[in-house]
Amino acid sequence: MKFAIALFAPPHSPAARRALRFAEASLQAGHQIVRLFFYQDGVHSASANVVCPQDELDVAAAWTRFIQEKQLDGVVCIAAGLRRGVLDAAEASRYGRPAANLAAGWELSGLGQLHEAAQQADRLVCFGGN
Amino acid sequence: MATLHVLSHSPFGDGRFASCLRLLGEGDALLLCGDAVYALQPASTPYASLERLGASTPVYALAEDHAARGGGAPGAGVTLVDYAAFVELCCRYERVNSWL
Repeated sequence: MKFAIALFAPPHSPAARRALRFAEASLQAGHQIVRLFFYQDGVHSASANVVCPQDELDVAAAWTRFIQEKQLDGVVCIAAGLRRGVLDAAEASRYGRPAANLAAGWELSGLGQLHEAAQQADRLVCFGGN
Repeated sequence: MATLHVLSHSPFGDGRFASCLRLLGEGDALLLCGDAVYALQPASTPYASLERLGASTPVYALAEDHAARGGGAPGAGVTLVDYAAFVELCCRYERVNSWL
């Protein structure tokens, strides 16, 4: 089974952890993840600048490790990212911002990537809420 | 088309829970996760609504979220699931509709 997974909630929300656990479980069960799409406040999971309290699971860092280790297509909505200050080097340069913070392994792209993933996958599973 | 409806907001906070129950179709199922597991509080209005669904609409709850929110043994007809079973449910139903 091919899954597309979309996350709409920030890394400090229970939904972000739930999406991560679901993604891990889907690979463990032998399924494929065609794309992970991060939208709205979900884009903060791709920031390399998130600092998490030491006694909490750093969900943003865990997402970055996960997509790097499994070599997954982790896509951040570019419009949602720009609005929230999640920039790669090209966008930081384009808009004259002092730094880029998109973690390694992620890509900024358009909402069309979510649509395409929904077409390619057997199931689109969205995570948000509490 | 059989749909798995995934709820993650508290049934006491807004109208998602009631709207979802109204829209459940033949063969659909409900998965409660996050704060939506509060719908399993005994003697509550949301729980009474779940009981009225009957056996034709399976109700599942994410065990980890249920335990994290102090849930005890769930009522009859509610099945607690882990993440592996969550994935399996998404395969079993043709669509997954998350009430974001």
